[in-house]
Amino acid sequence: MSTSEQTTFAAAGAVDAVKVYGEGDTEVRALDGVTATFERGKFTAIMGPSGSGKSTLMHCLAGLDRLSTGRVFVGDTYLDDLSEAQLTELRRDKIGFVFQAFNLIPTLSALENVTLPMDLAGRKPDQEWLDQVIDTVGLRPRLTHRPSELSGGQQQRVAVARALASQPEIVFADEPTGNLDSRSGGELLQFMRHAVSDLGQTIVMVTHDPTAAAYADRVVFLADGRIVSEMTEPTAARVLDLMKQLGD
Amino acid sequence: MLRIALKDLLARKRRLVTTSVAIALGIAFLTGTQLLSGILSDSIKSLVGDTYDGIDAVVRSSKVQEVGFGNEIRTPVPEGLAGQVAEVGGVRASSGIVETITAQLVGKDGKIVGSSFGPPTIVYNWVEDPQLRFGTLREGTGPKSDGEIVLDFGSAKDGGYKIGDTVTVAGQTQTEQFKLVGLTGLGKDGKDSGGAKSLQFTTPVAQRIGQIPGEFSYIVAAADEGLSQDELAKAISAALPGEQVVTGERFSTENQESISQFVDILGTFVSVFGYIAIFVACFIIYNTFSIIVAQRTRETALLRAVGARRRQVLAATMLEAVVIGLVSSVLGLILGAFLGTGLAKAFSSSFSVKGGIPPITAGTVILAFVIGVGVTVLSAVFPAWRSTKVPPIAALSEVSVDRSDVSRSRLVWGIVMLALGGVLMALGLTDTGPNPIGEVGASALLILVAVALVLGPLIAAPMSRVLAIPFAAGGRITGRLAGENAARNPKRTAATAAALTIGVTLVTVIAILAASLKASIDNTITNSLKADLVVNTTTFAIGTGIPANIADQVATTPGVKIASPVRFGPVRLTDAAGKKYAKDNPEKKGPGAGLSGTADTAPSGEDSFMLGVDPATFFEVLDLGTLDGSPKDMAAGTFATTRKTAEERGWKLGDKVPMFFARSGEQELELKVIAQRDIGQSSLYLPLTTFEQVVPPGFNIDNAIYVVADSQADIPSVQKSLDALVKDLPTIKVQDLQEYAQSQAGPLNTIVLVIYGLLALAIIIALVGIANTLGLSILERTKELGLLRAVGMTKKQLRRSIRQEAAIVAVFGTLLGLVIGIAFSVALSIVITADNPDIFSYQLPIPTLVAITVIGALAGVLAAILPARRAARLNPLTAISSV
Repeated sequence: MSTSEQTTFAAAGAVDAVKVYGEGDTEVRALDGVTATFERGKFTAIMGPSGSGKSTLMHCLAGLDRLSTGRVFVGDTYLDDLSEAQLTELRRDKIGFVFQAFNLIPTLSALENVTLPMDLAGRKPDQEWLDQVIDTVGLRPRLTHRPSELSGGQQQRVAVARALASQPEIVFADEPTGNLDSRSGGELLQFMRHAVSDLGQTIVMVTHDPTAAAYADRVVFLADGRIVSEMTEPTAARVLDLMKQLGD
Repeated sequence: MLRIALKDLLARKRRLVTTSVAIALGIAFLTGTQLLSGILSDSIKSLVGDTYDGIDAVVRSSKVQEVGFGNEIRTPVPEGLAGQVAEVGGVRASSGIVETITAQLVGKDGKIVGSSFGPPTIVYNWVEDPQLRFGTLREGTGPKSDGEIVLDFGSAKDGGYKIGDTVTVAGQTQTEQFKLVGLTGLGKDGKDSGGAKSLQFTTPVAQRIGQIPGEFSYIVAAADEGLSQDELAKAISAALPGEQVVTGERFSTENQESISQFVDILGTFVSVFGYIAIFVACFIIYNTFSIIVAQRTRETALLRAVGARRRQVLAATMLEAVVIGLVSSVLGLILGAFLGTGLAKAFSSSFSVKGGIPPITAGTVILAFVIGVGVTVLSAVFPAWRSTKVPPIAALSEVSVDRSDVSRSRLVWGIVMLALGGVLMALGLTDTGPNPIGEVGASALLILVAVALVLGPLIAAPMSRVLAIPFAAGGRITGRLAGENAARNPKRTAATAAALTIGVTLVTVIAILAASLKASIDNTITNSLKADLVVNTTTFAIGTGIPANIADQVATTPGVKIASPVRFGPVRLTDAAGKKYAKDNPEKKGPGAGLSGTADTAPSGEDSFMLGVDPATFFEVLDLGTLDGSPKDMAAGTFATTRKTAEERGWKLGDKVPMFFARSGEQELELKVIAQRDIGQSSLYLPLTTFEQVVPPGFNIDNAIYVVADSQADIPSVQKSLDALVKDLPTIKVQDLQEYAQSQAGPLNTIVLVIYGLLALAIIIALVGIANTLGLSILERTKELGLLRAVGMTKKQLRRSIRQEAAIVAVFGTLLGLVIGIAFSVALSIVITADNPDIFSYQLPIPTLVAITVIGALAGVLAAILPARRAARLNPLTAISSV
């Protein structure tokens, strides 16, 4: 694996990422030359209107989808060189996921869901770390419950715990608060913030909610498959302003 | 609404096909066997018709005896009768006929031509009149001298003979050589082969080999020009009032019927398995529709919300069932046509099968459609009805997956059904109810449904988790997921497994019964037979046996202490119990068109079999326990029996029991010995002196000779000397007791293999069901699978997990089947033991049962291959984002 300078600072990144769907007249350039890095130990939000390519970028960064041209990397690994099976293992070992909904396997208990990636790898979880993560998200009394016995907020917290439990290189969250009421959403974002600040994790979150983006260290704005702006130390108001600006 | 239903159906072609396949296989089997029966009986009819073509009237004895499978044996008529028939006005030609089953053709390779279960080998005399002769001479001449033989060309070919060769014939008294001078065939130009194997000799040789010197089996006659068969028959019976005369047409029909009866029994036997297969398919249809209806809840609710009536929702689902039924019927018919003709080809070595288009009758087509559509619609009714109860509001709910729980009343119902089944079973097995067989069948059905469908869901979840333990060992998550997925919908798992349970139950019962019967045979032989060696016949064809001179030669072989021959023949018991039996089971055949003169004169009674034995040695060689009376008193005109038979029929020592024999008429035999133990063979033992007088030709031959060696004799060397005695007799073997036991169980093995083969169909259908359910379940779990793949489950792990899930369901079904099968076999064995306390020994063939379980599990894995592959191909991204 090549270890270019940027990878030593970045947990993940994209170089000239292009993703094209369809051909000819129906061609859609979901990503149109995106170059970005996501720093280790930081909480980054990706924002943009629908169709801006923010989800596509995340899927490609996370090894769920492949670029048409360009490169993406996680840690010191370029994803474009990997086979299907290697990508799967990378997702399992190096990446954590939090989706908007349907994050948990209904037949497994909360704890089993948390340790699922490690179980799939046949690895024993680091018990100390696991305890820390579980306590951080406040799940201890719910560990044996099935997802159907948990509230939406609790389910998302289990998902965050799963994403963190294997100490991944980076955690990708796709609208993690999209289905939650504002109180539960706020709690969840607190946990994520905490995981970055206090536990040293790296999180990249796709969102369209300025309030959610305000929890991040940095916000990257996408429109029409390109990065159009970025902002550090965001607040909800500043993000909203910028979005309005971009929208005009 | 109809358009919606049809569109929906077409959009899911794959499901349409897999669902149809289950029922189509069953239909193919049913129609295939029907076609086979049709093809065979058509062939038989035309063959028999060809064989007896040209005969206008048959003069025969009115004394007749049943020998099983609708075969009958008539007393021969005196030779002189042929001359008398020839004199009757209107008879253009006539001939006495010898027709016996007393010889086998030995091929050039020294082996008997044909199989034990194939058509018989028949000894005929050569008839000069070509119209009356059996078959048409297609090559060579008739036998001019006693050293010559004519064969049907099929047998000659099988035996490797051509005209001019020396042919070996194993008769009952000796093995002889003849020169082959002619070949016959059936049909006008002698082109057709098949049917019986015929050996034609000069009349004196045929009478000698047929063991009816001075007699004919019957007399045939051809009418003068312009005289009908009826007129000829009437003319003959007017001239010879003491005889029975039948028209050629009736004679031919009688012969066709006796063979067709066998084909019918075969067809019925095989079609039972077709119905079992369809029963299994019902479960699959039911299951598939349950899942489809559940998955479609939102869609249905939406339809209801926009104004569809319940009736319309029901009609839509039922329409789907009808279409699947129609597709199945058509598929089944096509498959069945191939199956029927294919099987007919396989049978063509035994029967000459005519080629061409299979005789698909309207009846077969109607059967296919009635069963195909009927069964599918019936199986779908309940799930369809359930779909109408979906409230419109369900359109708004999240979940479209069947998560219905198992209710408590299920347990109550299950237990009630089990109890009812148990009572019915007890009634049936103890023969107390009005219809014992029906009761046993109904109870078996009830118990199966109770355990598999009603109680099954209660234990499906815990059982699935238990069965997952080996897969989940060491914390492997794939095994854990497999177990949980099998457990998450107990009703579905139970219904899927139930299909397999039925097949496994039957296989288990058969395996246990076969093992028990084999053990019983072994036990009986080792416990009762005191012989060291047995000279035995290796074919089971009627009329084969050990030539008469062998017994004496065995007896005088150095080292032989006792040589006790045993013969086997038909008898009709005309005692009070026999008369009652005959009254309760009236014969269907009676005098009818085409019969004149004396009607059948056999007294009514119960047909059975008897053994001809040498009283002086038999009871020494065969240990039948304590004897009441002494074998020394068994002079001519006496017999022995077992306590069980004596008690059943109310006989006491010294009773004179009436019996009827076709050869000698009705006579009374005095009961001189009652033996304690019954070893399940025939329980009537006649001294050979009497036996020889009464049995029809062909039966008067040793079936086995039990040999006891001198105490100081070396048994292997005695066996060697005996081997030398029979070395030229291809059907005779000298066996030690172990070999003898094996040869006695031989036919059992064949039958069991055939039954396994037939049951395999039910199991294959069950596999289709597992694959189908799994496919639908995976569809339901698309998102979940996508998530698993996203967080790092490899394709390999995913496939493994699904295969394990299938294995768990399959093993669950198999274990249920094993348990029910063992329970049934125990119930059966109680009854069999009650009837045969001395011989039946219950055996659990553990290795076979383990093999059944392993095969069940492997079969599940096999069924999962395709669904697992399809699941692994899911793109995790589309799976997740398809919210």
